Order: sequence, then C-alpha cells, then structure tokens
Amino acid sequence: MRSLVNSSSTPLAASSRIGRLFERWGVLVAFLLLFAASTALQGGEFASVENFRNMLNQNASIGILAVGMTLVVISGGIDLSVGSMLVLAAALGLTLTNELIAREWSEGSAVALGICASVLCGTLAGSINGALIVFGRLAPFIATLGGLVAFRSVALAMADAGEIRSASASLFKVLGQSGLPFWNFQNSAGKPLTITYATMMFLAIAVIAQWFLSRSRYGRQLVAVGANETAARYAGVSVASVRLRTYIIMGALAAIAGLLQSSRMNSVSTSQLGLGIELDAIAAVVIGGTSLRGGFGRVWGTVVGVLILGMIANMITISGISPYWSGAVKGAVIVLAVLVQRSRA
Amino acid sequence: MTVDFPGVRALDRVSLSFRPREIHAVIGENGAGKSTLMKVLSGVQQPSAGDLRCDNRVVRFRQPQEAIAHGVSMVHQELHLVEALSVAENIFLGREVTRGRLGIRLDRRAMHARAAEFLSMLGAEIDPRASARDLSIADAQFVEIAKCLASDARVLIFDEPTAVLGEREATRLLALLRRLRDEGRAVVFISHHLEEVVDHANRVSVLRDGRLVAEFERYDGVLRCKEGKPSRESALAQAMVGRALGDLYPTRERCAHEHSRIALEDFGARGRSAGISLSVAEGEIVGIAGLVGSGRTETMEAIVGLRPSMGRVRVDGTVVQFRSPRDAMRCGVAYISEDRKGRGLHVSLSSTVNCTLPTLDRFASAMGASIATKRERVTTERWIHELGIRCARLDAPISSLSGGNQQKFAIARWLEGTPNVLIVDEPTRGVDVGAKAEVYRVIAQLADAGMACIVVSSELPELRGLCDRVIVLRQGMVVGELARARLMLPDAEEQLIRLASGLSETKAGACEVS
Repeated sequence: MRSLVNSSSTPLAASSRIGRLFERWGVLVAFLLLFAASTALQGGEFASVENFRNMLNQNASIGILAVGMTLVVISGGIDLSVGSMLVLAAALGLTLTNELIAREWSEGSAVALGICASVLCGTLAGSINGALIVFGRLAPFIATLGGLVAFRSVALAMADAGEIRSASASLFKVLGQSGLPFWNFQNSAGKPLTITYATMMFLAIAVIAQWFLSRSRYGRQLVAVGANETAARYAGVSVASVRLRTYIIMGALAAIAGLLQSSRMNSVSTSQLGLGIELDAIAAVVIGGTSLRGGFGRVWGTVVGVLILGMIANMITISGISPYWSGAVKGAVIVLAVLVQRSRA
Repeated sequence: MTVDFPGVRALDRVSLSFRPREIHAVIGENGAGKSTLMKVLSGVQQPSAGDLRCDNRVVRFRQPQEAIAHGVSMVHQELHLVEALSVAENIFLGREVTRGRLGIRLDRRAMHARAAEFLSMLGAEIDPRASARDLSIADAQFVEIAKCLASDARVLIFDEPTAVLGEREATRLLALLRRLRDEGRAVVFISHHLEEVVDHANRVSVLRDGRLVAEFERYDGVLRCKEGKPSRESALAQAMVGRALGDLYPTRERCAHEHSRIALEDFGARGRSAGISLSVAEGEIVGIAGLVGSGRTETMEAIVGLRPSMGRVRVDGTVVQFRSPRDAMRCGVAYISEDRKGRGLHVSLSSTVNCTLPTLDRFASAMGASIATKRERVTTERWIHELGIRCARLDAPISSLSGGNQQKFAIARWLEGTPNVLIVDEPTRGVDVGAKAEVYRVIAQLADAGMACIVVSSELPELRGLCDRVIVLRQGMVVGELARARLMLPDAEEQLIRLASGLSETKAGACEVS
C-alpha cells in the first residue's frame, strides 16, 4: 500500500524573499507614502524640506526618548518611567538655574550647571531603575512602573504641581529654539531655514546609538542579552552590567529630552510635561520593527517610527479632523505595523 | 494504516508507510529531512506536492489538531507541558472532561481517574494531581505520551525520545514503545542512537539529503536490508552517511600525565554535589558518568562560577574561585554547556556573533566602542575551515545549521579563547554520526596538544572510546573510577551503569574506587 508521488522544490522561496525585503524596508516604504500624502494634503507648493524640518524639530525630544527606549527594548526590558524622569530632570535643572541666577551668578554658568544637574538627575533615576531590575530582580515593567509614579510626584512636589518658569531670559531657550542655517534653503517667509540644535542632537544621538548597537561591544552584548539572557551568561557576558548600563543611558537620554522640551517653552509644567510620552516612545520603537521580545532591533527604524507618528498627528491637525481621532489612527498604525512586520516563521 | 507522503522542499519524493504493530525508526544525519518529515506528519508543515493517506484515504493536515483528530500524535523532543497545571490537566488539555448540561464544569474526578488509568497503562507511577513543574524529564515524557493516548492516537511519533534521558529511563521508555506497538499502534521514532534502533525497530528508513536511501526490515528477529543480509549498526551508519565510516573514536597515543592542570578538592555545587576530588592532567581526557540528576552538569557549572560552589579549585596549582564564565576564561578554563539551544548558543543570532561572543574583548577597540567586524569574519571562517563546519552564510541565524555544525561552533567559540582546560558537557547530544566522529577527533587532538579535557556524557560508548579514565557520580558524590585498562574490558559499560545506578556496592569496591 504505497504510492509514489513526484514532486520537487517549490516556488516558495521567491515569495518569502519579497516578504523578507518587506519586513526589512516596509517601515521606510510606509514612511515615504505617508510623507507624499502629507505633502499633497498640505498643498503642492508647501516646501517638503521645510515640512520635514518642522517635523524633525517637533519630534526631536520624543525621538531621543525613543532611541533610548529601543536599546531598553532590545535588552528585553521596557521603561515606563521615561516621561517622569524627563519632567523630574527638567524641573530639577531649571530650579537650580533659577536659584543660581537669583544669587546673581552669571546666566551662562547658571544654565550650564542646571544642564549638568539635569543630566545627572536623569542618570541617577536611570540607575535606580537599573538597580531595581538587576539587583532587586524586579520585572522591568514593575520597577519602572514605580518610577513612573514616583519620579513625577517628586517633580510635582518641587513646584507644587505648577509651572517653573526659566529665569534665564535668553540663553536657556537657545537649545530648543535656535539653530544653524541649513545650506541656502529658505522657509515660506523667505528667511533662512534653520536646523534647530534639538534636531541636531536627536540625529546625532540616533546615529551614535545605531553605531553602538551594530558596531560596539556593548551593542553586541545588548543583543545577546535580549536574545537569550542565559546563553549570554554562559558565554561570559556580564548581563548585570549590560542591563544596568542600558537603563542608565535611558535615564540620561530622558534628561536630555526634558531639557530640549523645557527649553522650547522656556519653562517646565510639572503636571503636563512628558505626560504619557512613554507610550509614544514605545509605539515608535515597535513601529520601527524592534521586537518587544528583545534580541532584535534597529535605531533607524525607531527614527522612522517617530516620524511616522509625528506625521500622522500633523496630517490630522492640518486636514481639520478632530484631534480626538488621532489616537484611533495611531493605534491602528501601531497594530498594523506589528502585523506586517512580525516574522513569518 | 498507510501514511504516504511526498516532497517538501527538504524532502524529495519520499514515500513511506507506517503500519500498526510496528516500531518504525527513521534515521539520518542532521539535515537529512527527518524533522521536516515529522512536521508534515504532525500537521505543522504542508507538503508542496504529493499526499498523505490515512487508512487509504487522502487527508490534509493543515494544523496539528487535524493530525491529532486523525489519530496521529507527536511527542516532541522539547516537551510542551504547561508547568502551572497538574499532570491530569495537562493530559486533558483541550479535551477537558466536563459534567453538567452546559459543559463548562470541569469533572476533575473523572479526569484524575482517567489520567491515572493512562499513566498506569504506561507503567508510570506519577500522581495525576502532581504539578507538571515538579516532574523529571523522563516523567514529563511519560505524561506527554499519556496525552497522546488520551487523544486516542493510533500513530505515535517520537522525536529523539531518548536524547534527554539517562540510560535507565531510556530503557524504560523503549520498553513502553514496544508495549504501545503490541497494543496495535504504529510507533515512529527518530533517533541518533543506532544501537537503540537495531535493538528495537521492526523497520528502519534511512533518509539522506531529503531522500529515502535505504530501508531495513526485521524478520526472524534480525534486522535485514532489502537483499536480506543481516545488518548491524555499522550498516545503518554507512547508509546514513553515504560512505563507510572510519573508526568512530580516534586512536591516541597515551602518555604519562604528569602536570596537573585543574584539580578539584572536596568540591561541590552547593545543594547538588559534594566532596568531589579530581585532578586532570595536561593531555588527559577524563570522563564524568552518571544518571540524569546525579549532579554532573551542576558540578561543572559550579567550577566556572555559574552556580554557588563549595570546596576548592586549583588551576595550575593556584587556588581560584571563578565568579563567572568570563572569569574562568581568563584563567584558561572553558565550559561548553549540554543545552546547546538554551544556553550554549544564541540560536537567533548569526554564526559570526555566536563564534566571537565569549572572546569579544579581543575584537573590540577604542574601549569597546568599535568591533573589528572584518577580523571577526576571518576568525569565523578560520574555524569553519579548521573544524570542517558546513555553513553557507556567516550572517544567517545559527539555527539554520544542523545540530552537528552548531555543536562545532559551540566548541569553536571557546577554543578561540585558547583555554588550557576544556569542560564539555554532552559533546554529541543531538549530533549525527558523521559529526560525532569529527567532534571526538577534535577533542582528542586538543588533548594531544596538551589540553586537559573533562567530558560529561550519558553515552557510555562515548566515554569508553574517548576517555583515559571515567569518574562516576551518583547523587552528587563520586562513587567510582574506571581507569583506561578497566574501560577496555567488555563489561565496562555494565560496570558504569551499576555504579551510576547504585546497583551493587560490593562490585564497585572491586574496581579501583578512589
């Protein structure tokens, strides 16, 4: 009772190759389509360079958070406390600056010290997260949920839940508001088009992070820890140090993001700044194709993810749809991105 | 019952039939297409052409559930029990027995009773109320089989069932396979243990490169090939590899071992083993035997700092205490884990990344900010060449390689650190015959070059063939030691089993207990 059936190899290979290409570059394709649609929506003569510049500027600080979040997610963790670290670091930095200016320090040194204190504060908050996760053996979700609640509360207490206005009249806001001219491009008002310092920092941080991820020892170990923590330990990777460093970097980046945001407004609203921003950061990471299970990720994808989210918000504002719909669209995009990109095993 | 099936990409026009009252062994080197075959049979993968017949009716299994509904069940190599549930709940998972008209109230009592029935049918003494988490690997496997019986399986497929078992559990399992056969079921099993195949299979199909290359059938109690010649293991092995195998074990010149490289003094893994004293000299291969759970692996892991330890370790005479494998590596001690997929390698990462991970410091410059990727590639290629690894693309996930080639990378990554002491745990688990011989050759060469090697293994022939002497562990203690001369005697394996299972204390005394 035996039947011989003739067959040989299949055409399966070709279709899976396209699938793999799409998996890799799909985000970029989606971005370009959205960008084209966005430019069309906003009128043909709307210069796309300026459009792009504005989007980068508006999303620089969330972008910096998302870059850090990419590293955290690759390590197999998550950081829910970024928005709270951001506001705490910004509030602390600005309070110190104001205090120094009140004591008649020069504006320059007051701002510089404030910035240092802010980054230090972020680093410290990040190391608390890291220590709880590594030494306290808490799940990253739990440890940073604690941070999410606690860090903002400290900031609120510092300012009685109110706004801290910068006493630095001209210097502090340079970071988020000024920039350098971008070749000979001009904006719609005929003035030279500037790239803000915030944008530059975002792009620089993204480039450095992508380099570190793909080319450094830390990046390699990060991927190894995220892919299989036990195997990494057996291979002699110091898992504790890798994870600790990741959360510290996240904290420092959150502080930088906080500085850029507060510099743009030249004030810190302790009850509003960075509220719910952690979800946007995680969404950008996921859209960018980084696996929430850890062990695989890319910073450039996250950057594109940030821009996609920014563009959606932008389009909704301009097309006159109620802003309340933006959540629905974002939600759909996040889910769609994951559906399309998950690997077909 | 006939199940015919055809060419998937990895399988080329293969036709087989599995009959009731038969144990059908499918053997082949890694990558020969055995796994694909099993995936097709159990409904995980679809054939691209050809069909599958069950009781002479063409069927299509689009999902494992459909295969199970047709009475085809698979017992995977990796066990799939839900740890949080009890044994009975696992057995009836997805087929819960309910009472009441709505069919939502679980009938626990009925499930426990029937689970107990199935388990006793298998001759396993497992409490159906016990939590699946607490089961030993062997017991978990029995529960898996009970699960298949509960789904009324007529064809049971086993993927390397004895690979994770010790000698004694394996014997128990094989007896069970025979019983399942005698009850009229078709039993299919994949194995790398040719001995097992020769002793138990009624029919053997050999796959090579996705084709069926040879078939053997048992009559008059002897396994014969088509021409009717009786066949032993060597014939099977030859069919698998497609060429005559040289001696599986390398011949070594054995010289006096003087300089002690690593010495354990009253050593143990806390809670798992104790009082182990052992010294391994330059150029010596010492085997560690013992049943599963005897503390072999735990002791080795304790040496390199993966577990808390007691007692002392001396490397080249100096007392050391390693806190991590990284520490151990610095002193020239490397440990290669038995669990290749879970601990030994990062299966989702590329061959290059895997090959250089333990020695990443050597490739990093500028305080780790930059890795010399070109040098990494060159190094990986060197090992591919040196160990004869078959690897088409360096940047493809290492899981795309066969078990044997993965194992060679698992060894290579540690050799890259030029250790003086190499501890290999189950060096040939899940590795085909051809690659086995090569792994043995590599270990022998390293020893000849002066490395001190410790080989932990459940395969007694391996210990006999490769080692200068063998230490036997039982319940975390050294219960015996067999020197080279003793290992050469024909009853050495029996002696090892006796020691490992604690069968005869008196006989153990007769043979050089240290």
